Amino acid sequence: MSPITIVLVVAIVAAFYMAWNIGANDVANAMGTSVGSGALTLMGAVVLAGIFEFAGAALVGTQVTETIRKGIVEVTLFEPTGMFGEDGPLILAIGMLSALMAAGIWLQLATMAGLPVSTTHSIVGAVVGFALIAIGPSAVDWGTVGQIVASWVVSPALGGIIAAAMFLIISHGILQKDDPVKATRRLGPYLVALVIFLLILSFIYKALKNVVQDPHWGLVLGSAALFAALAFLFARVWLDPMRARNDKPFAFVERVFGRLQIITACFVAFAHGANDVANAVGPLAAVVQIHAVGELPARVPVPFWILVLGGVGIVIGLATWGYKVIATIGKKIMELTPTRGFSAEFGAAVTVLIASRLGMPVSTTHTLVGAVVGVGMARGLAALNLRVVGKIVNSWLATLPVAAGLSALLFVILRALLT
Amino acid sequence: MRTFHQLFGKSPFALLVEHTRRVHRTVELIRPLFEAFLDEDWDKCEALYKKISKREHKADLEKNKIRDQLPKSIFLPVDRGDVLKYLKEQDSIADAAEDVAVLITIRKTPCPEELKPLVLDFVDQVIRTSEELVEAGSELTQLVESRFGGPEVEKVLTMVAEVNDQEWEADKRQRVLSRAIMEREDELDAISIVFWMRIITTLGAIANHAENTGDMLRMMLARG
Repeated sequence: MSPITIVLVVAIVAAFYMAWNIGANDVANAMGTSVGSGALTLMGAVVLAGIFEFAGAALVGTQVTETIRKGIVEVTLFEPTGMFGEDGPLILAIGMLSALMAAGIWLQLATMAGLPVSTTHSIVGAVVGFALIAIGPSAVDWGTVGQIVASWVVSPALGGIIAAAMFLIISHGILQKDDPVKATRRLGPYLVALVIFLLILSFIYKALKNVVQDPHWGLVLGSAALFAALAFLFARVWLDPMRARNDKPFAFVERVFGRLQIITACFVAFAHGANDVANAVGPLAAVVQIHAVGELPARVPVPFWILVLGGVGIVIGLATWGYKVIATIGKKIMELTPTRGFSAEFGAAVTVLIASRLGMPVSTTHTLVGAVVGVGMARGLAALNLRVVGKIVNSWLATLPVAAGLSALLFVILRALLT
Repeated sequence: MRTFHQLFGKSPFALLVEHTRRVHRTVELIRPLFEAFLDEDWDKCEALYKKISKREHKADLEKNKIRDQLPKSIFLPVDRGDVLKYLKEQDSIADAAEDVAVLITIRKTPCPEELKPLVLDFVDQVIRTSEELVEAGSELTQLVESRFGGPEVEKVLTMVAEVNDQEWEADKRQRVLSRAIMEREDELDAISIVFWMRIITTLGAIANHAENTGDMLRMMLARG
């Protein structure tokens, strides 16, 4: 068995493990509230999360995967014409494998120690790590890395802003009205339509490309708008006859938003799949490419089956372990009432999807935290523990060097073993 | 990521409503206490004092629970300082109620027969003030839901105004009763007069603290 084949096989296993981990640990944050409030059964949450995570990964996962595959490392330096000569592509593949394994090991250790760890930060740090030790700073595309790090700062902030804005809309449009029940019946369908519109918009371009060559923007927007209109009507039919108690208008509002939150939870799952699948399959895509062709040409897109592999890994992680985490988290975040949860999830999902379309790997969890803080700042939460924000920043600073160091170490070992 | 759920501090507002109720349960025992006192049923007074003291202690425990949950790093939809002031003032209501009970039981102070209706009238008015406060304070969780805005705020401000009115009525009765006692200064012994003045002042303090608590609530809303 040639070295490159060994690398490929191990990489597939490592990628699958990463994907499993993502499904097991990360998905819970999106679905937890809906399960905790009773709006969804655990089974329902797992099924919906599975569908939407997979859909996100398969339909929108390409761009971010591309970035991780070849956006961070200067792959031209590893070509046969480069400093490593014929071994160049193999060394690159070994590097990607080291990154994958390092991220996976770090993730496992951190989870066992109960530390908050971002899969995104881990993989990016790990990729940078092996590139640095293989060649040096010139091997890293610092421009791209700079953009990525910037996106890590921007995404929680943007998530917070959008979430706060959404909550203020709900607050002024429904909660602070004289008749919140009537206001919910009126405003609810628009919110549903908005979420559906954005969700469909995320992947419809790609979907339409299979049917029509080079779809016109009007067609794209029109199709998304059509689905949104249908959703609007459906919401009207659902909300209008819904019964409300006169003395407890807020209970009605929260009940409605409990259902609406299911939609935004799916939205978050979709965005999460789109952005995080790359953490598992990005490096794998590079290895597959090298194994198949012997180098990493710039133009070949990420093969679909790799995204599918990642998606499946996430779903299996969700089904075998993730459901337990969802159940636990659900009980613990009962304080997040549906109107607030809806706002936070909306803010996070929109932000992560924008980042995914831009090819920026961001931490979905950190964005969700940013969104919740945004709602808190808009005075939507009864009590917000800002100390946790400090903990999260600390975990950032710890993850990058550790992942990079671990990856560098593994690279040196594997390279010695395989070349 | 496991720390996600740690973002959410436990809501102090539901606990505050609970504290309001516990404080009132301490205050409402004042009526049977004074009935026993005016009947000169000293054993019953003793028993009721113990009950009042126990309820006041329970309110204290609730207060500490709330304080434990409000470290400096907690961000609330209203000013954290305002919440703590509200809590402290509300706690003083129960303290005053207990103080009255202590005064009743440390000495067998007599009451002129014709003043008994005035005394009970005053006691009832004080309790009524506390009841109005419970009405207002119980709305806190609703206020959180509507982000301390909207028609809910108007509703609570009206209730707080009601507390102010009831406290004024209590003040009036306090003065009437005090005058009545002083008008009989030749009939009553000096120490009894001292005790009566203390008892009346402390009863008045219950209503005063209730009013102040209402004002603290109003301050929380003023920033909405």
